[in-house]
Amino acid sequence: MVPKLSWLRLDSHHMDPVEFFSNHIFRMVFLGTTVIGLVAGALGAFAYLRKQSLISDVIGHAALPGALLAFLAAVTMFGVNGRSMLLLVIGAVITGTLAALFANTIAARTKVAIDTAMAISMTTFFGFGMLLLRFITNNPFPGKGGIQDYLFGNAASITRADLTTSIAVGALAMGLMVVFWKEFTLRSFDPVLSTMLGFKARIIDTLMFTTIVIAIVIGVKAVGFVLMVAFVVTPPAAARQWTNTLPGMVMLSGLIGGLGSGFGAYLSISLGNVPTGPVIVLVLFAILLFSLLASPKRSVVITALRRMRARRALKQELISEGSTR
Amino acid sequence: MSYILGVVLLACTTALTCALPGVFVVLRKHSMIVDGISHAVLPGIIIGFAIVGDLDSPVLILGAAVTGLLVVLGNEWLTETGLLAGDAPQGLIFPSLFAVGILMVSMDFQHVHLDTHVALVGDMNLAAVIPLTVGGVNIGPEYLYVMLGLLLLNAGFIAVFSRALKITTFARQFAEILGIRTRLLNTAFMFLVSVTVVAAFNAVGAILVISLLVVPAATAQLISTRLSVMFALTAAIAIIGALAGFWIAYVLDTGTSAAMAVFYGVLFVAVAVAERTATRLRRNRHQDVKSEETSATLVRSASVR
Repeated sequence: MVPKLSWLRLDSHHMDPVEFFSNHIFRMVFLGTTVIGLVAGALGAFAYLRKQSLISDVIGHAALPGALLAFLAAVTMFGVNGRSMLLLVIGAVITGTLAALFANTIAARTKVAIDTAMAISMTTFFGFGMLLLRFITNNPFPGKGGIQDYLFGNAASITRADLTTSIAVGALAMGLMVVFWKEFTLRSFDPVLSTMLGFKARIIDTLMFTTIVIAIVIGVKAVGFVLMVAFVVTPPAAARQWTNTLPGMVMLSGLIGGLGSGFGAYLSISLGNVPTGPVIVLVLFAILLFSLLASPKRSVVITALRRMRARRALKQELISEGSTR
Repeated sequence: MSYILGVVLLACTTALTCALPGVFVVLRKHSMIVDGISHAVLPGIIIGFAIVGDLDSPVLILGAAVTGLLVVLGNEWLTETGLLAGDAPQGLIFPSLFAVGILMVSMDFQHVHLDTHVALVGDMNLAAVIPLTVGGVNIGPEYLYVMLGLLLLNAGFIAVFSRALKITTFARQFAEILGIRTRLLNTAFMFLVSVTVVAAFNAVGAILVISLLVVPAATAQLISTRLSVMFALTAAIAIIGALAGFWIAYVLDTGTSAAMAVFYGVLFVAVAVAERTATRLRRNRHQDVKSEETSATLVRSASVR
């Protein structure tokens, strides 16, 4: 049986950049995802250097119940639009931070290791989120249509207000990073020295995780919670292959995240009705693979070549040594 | 067999099947790799379903499990390149595979109509719909027997390789000196975990399966100092959680797997708090006894003088 590739509608929806950017919705999608990728990439660099990249997976999953609780609070208590980006971000930041703290507390206070602690925290919060989602879809709440988009995102639902909110909140997180640059750096590279110099570890950690949580939750509308982990983990891992300095890494990681997301969003729209988040994830993964294979100093290929050359040189040396004796 | 009894038995069997290998997953610190596996099998399941047309087919289960193995081997490869720091390798491969799966679902790949909600958390009731009839008698859901078979496989693997698994878990270098093929054993074990994850997909979906795998064993770990005790406690907690999850879902009219995940999480916290409180009380009592002893000795030595 020849597999039919009818699902891959490459040509029928193709559009050129001019057509793309003249459309208001598409422009919103492009800008929105670029901002998300930029913020998540830049702040993800610190999670990467702290060697705690996976905490972003926990935060992403745990943000779901927060966003849904915010929706419920908005429609039942305040009678306002439950899909407001600001409320959603506040709810998601609260449960995301709680989940990260919960995982770290389990690892610190019990004999359960950090990876299992993360799994416990993630599934408990996400399970609760799925119960809430079922509750909301089963009951007649106003404005609940499309609430399932919180899972995988729907970039086409980004409004101008959403874009403004994500830029403002993202700028706040980036601002915190710039203001506390010295503290974040010291805490990442030499936690002991940082404590000895009198910086409060708990406060710096909380600040640092809050910025990472913000970076993750502003992605909900466009990308959804489930795939945000890739936005935080992949750009720094790719950027690390090209640079050896912290400012270089944060900038390059933000750039890779921003450009990769913008390009992914463009692809997802020009391919037709394709969810944006997964396409961006694949673009970012392609950038990572390219970096691992082709970066001039560290790549897999260069290392293999260098090893081969060293082996040959050693062999030559040993042979010539043997012949002189 | 009545339908509702079938669902309850299915919930218990699925929980137990996942929880048993979970003991070694927790002890070997592989929980987040399993999280990766559970996401990564989605494209494998969809392609398999398009070819075989049956979610319970052994061909599909084994085929899709290979996709899960990509995460394990990919993680090993990325770690060995030495180019990446910390736990990043574990977070790099599975999102891409999961993204491919989600793209397939949303684009109706080969007209596989799979609800994204079901793909995430499964549907226990739906999974139990097709009954198995022998000689005209309904002996429970067909899927129950797939899970029972896998339960036997998991228990058998753990029983046969228990010694090797124990040594490689607690003393890896010693295991290598003994000549145990640690890497082969690990790959085989992770493949079995991957098979379990795929088989349970129908009932609990891609994300919450990790709760069934990891949390009962982690809860048991809190209060056990022997592996045999940990296995017994894990099995007991798994069953209790399945029954409680089913009951909560029944009362609240909601998803079984989500209810199970929340129950397991709450139970973990309760056991952790109880264990810490008990330890603290014991320590205090111990200190009280000690201080009484010291004061008694002081009094005695004073009176001697």
